[in-house]
Amino acid sequence: MAENRVFDVAVSPHVGSSKNTKRIMWDVVIALMPALIAAFWFFGPRAIMLVSASVGAAVLTEWLCLKFMKRPVNFAFDGSAVVTGLLLAYNVPSGVPWWLPVLGSAFAIAVAKQAFGGLGHNIVNPALLGRAFLVASFPVLMTAGWVAPMEWKDGQRIDVQSCGVPTSHLSESGELDALSGATPLNALKQTFNWEGDSERSEEVRTMLFSRESLKNLFMGRIGGCIGETSVIMLLLGALYLFLRGVLEIRLPLSYLGSVALFAWLFGGPGWFDGNPLFHLLAGGVILGGFFMVTDMVTTPVTKKGRIIFGIGAGLLTMVIRRWGGYPEGCSYSILLMNLGTPLIDRYTKPLSFGEVSSNG
Amino acid sequence: MSKVKSFAGGTHPPGNKGLSSGAAVVRLPAPEVVTVPLCQHLGAPSKPVVKPGDEVKKGSVIGEQNGFISLPTHSPVNGKVLRIENVPMPHMRSGQAVVIKTESEDGGDVYEPITDWKNADTPSLVNRIKEAGVCGMGGASFPTYVKLLPPKGVKIDTLIINGVECEPYLTADHRLMLERVDDLVTGMKIIAHVLGVTDPCIGIEVNKPDAIKLLEEKGARVVPLKVQYPQGAEKQLIDAAVGRQVPPGGLPLNIGVVVQNVGTCVAVTEAVCKGMPCTRRITTVSGLGVNNPGNFNVCVGTPVSVLIEAAGGYKGDVERLISGGPMMGMAMFTDAAPVTKGTSGILAMSPEEVRDVEEGPCIRCGKCVDVCPLNLLPSVIATASEYSRWDDSEKAGALNCMACGTCSYVCPAGRYLVHHIKRAQNEVRALKRAREA
Repeated sequence: MAENRVFDVAVSPHVGSSKNTKRIMWDVVIALMPALIAAFWFFGPRAIMLVSASVGAAVLTEWLCLKFMKRPVNFAFDGSAVVTGLLLAYNVPSGVPWWLPVLGSAFAIAVAKQAFGGLGHNIVNPALLGRAFLVASFPVLMTAGWVAPMEWKDGQRIDVQSCGVPTSHLSESGELDALSGATPLNALKQTFNWEGDSERSEEVRTMLFSRESLKNLFMGRIGGCIGETSVIMLLLGALYLFLRGVLEIRLPLSYLGSVALFAWLFGGPGWFDGNPLFHLLAGGVILGGFFMVTDMVTTPVTKKGRIIFGIGAGLLTMVIRRWGGYPEGCSYSILLMNLGTPLIDRYTKPLSFGEVSSNG
Repeated sequence: MSKVKSFAGGTHPPGNKGLSSGAAVVRLPAPEVVTVPLCQHLGAPSKPVVKPGDEVKKGSVIGEQNGFISLPTHSPVNGKVLRIENVPMPHMRSGQAVVIKTESEDGGDVYEPITDWKNADTPSLVNRIKEAGVCGMGGASFPTYVKLLPPKGVKIDTLIINGVECEPYLTADHRLMLERVDDLVTGMKIIAHVLGVTDPCIGIEVNKPDAIKLLEEKGARVVPLKVQYPQGAEKQLIDAAVGRQVPPGGLPLNIGVVVQNVGTCVAVTEAVCKGMPCTRRITTVSGLGVNNPGNFNVCVGTPVSVLIEAAGGYKGDVERLISGGPMMGMAMFTDAAPVTKGTSGILAMSPEEVRDVEEGPCIRCGKCVDVCPLNLLPSVIATASEYSRWDDSEKAGALNCMACGTCSYVCPAGRYLVHHIKRAQNEVRALKRAREA
């Protein structure tokens, strides 16, 4: 018998799946790429510049924070900072100055993420908190930076109809000129404010909900934040995540379902006359539903909790859109629900296998 | 074939069973020296009744039963006792063993066969299964006779035979079902007879269609099961096969069910019909770290190194040596440890097979929650454990965990969830004992 070798020991299991945090993060980055192509198509090279600046700032901030805190700096390259940088840039209009997304990313990483302990420990979605910081600090830049979408033709960029509503229609009263490049949600919000002029409101809404307008929303030929407008490209990315087994399906389904339900319920001027399809396609609901509501760190871990989270975020989104001070409520609704995550987790702890509920 | 059933949750690691599933069982002669542990079963170790220099016969008792949850231990060979000493055991601890110099493997002491078991009374059958030292051959090694003595007032109405073999790599049960099918069916009938169950069934994953076909031909009621880990865990198997759930902290007999492994059935047949004590078992030797993976019928007490030699020796770098399967098996530091009644497999794993990752922070993805077959929150228990918050980990269900390893398998952060949870279990139990004392 040969001399006995000594082997290393370790706790079971001795095998593992090939999925790891880094791969998940880079999969999300890949899934966000189609929307970047759409951003380039509709908002031009400037959009790419802003996104790059944001991503660069996020990674650099992460690296500096880790260095400063004497933690392993390779965490900066696990892809999570890139995702934050991308999402932050996707949530600003393409007309803003370059330093705005840079500042937002730096805030997102340093304050929302690293100050709470880094990857896995942040309480709210860093990109969304970064956006909230920008909206609060630079409200004019963040709401006036809308750029009308353009398209490429023979190497030239040409204007396309922005929100399916002729500008003339909105600026009739003379005070709405700023809406020339506005978003469909802005236009919808305005119609709720023209209380004395229900005929015009109805006309604008009919235009917003027209086939042509919905098609533009689906393709992304509308004004809006850099990465949120092109529904088809975002869905393409979501499909990739789904095929890679990264997409958690309960969160997006409950969120989008809830948005659709409450849009129908009170998204219109009265009750039960909203347009769910418009509300799903407009604004940041698709970007939020597949890339921010699904943020693993800041959403519940229990299955039931994820559904509650999605429904709650959908409800809040629609409440803000209908009655809130902002035309879009997607990001604030998710931030608010993020804060409720520990509570949701606590009250949705599942019964163990074979356990019988104590309530009978 | 009837409808394929399953439990909820779980995962599907690559099976890698093709390495050894085609290899017929090879009977290995006893090595020159056998090291027979006295604690091959769960419960109290047997008490040695031989001393150095004693001549022992094959099948003679060398350690007597020591308590209710305990079993006697038999010599697998004719030979002479060299010494009684502590040896490294497959599960990292050491234990007392009788070291015997082999002279031959012929004849030997056997019990009187009970060929007419259909008319034998239950106590004598149970007693035979006890005195022959039969324990669960699936890996947990619980004394079989104890499961056949339900407490007063408990009515057993269901017997499920476990032929699932959901651990990757392992094929010992698969080969046993193919090669020992008659003994298996007989053993199943004996156990059903003892328990008074009329319609036992056998659960098999559908990745073993040949075994399912063969057993159906032999008249057994097969429940085909989805290939999903841990389908063969007792609670999950019962849930899948008959749709009943064992309560947390409870036993299958609480819901009128007994589960026995296919290897146990064969051991019961040998004990009852042939009067043979349990001194051999079928073990898979596999992994990319051995040259010729296969299945072997070996004496208990055979050193693992002998099995490795029989499988063509080590191949290349061996990163880890495992007793059992890769999901729940124990890493061994030495191949000098002996095979026991519970050794379902020996795996020599190459570096590319073993997951060796640095533990990262939990990203709260909830994958562990999705797959946990016991509906626990593994990440929550593990985090509480990391911060030594034992109360919290207990509240999150730490004691219900069976350490199947599914959560650690899927964790993208590479967390050692099972490790943290096992640690919490130890601490919580110690605290409970301290409180009671």
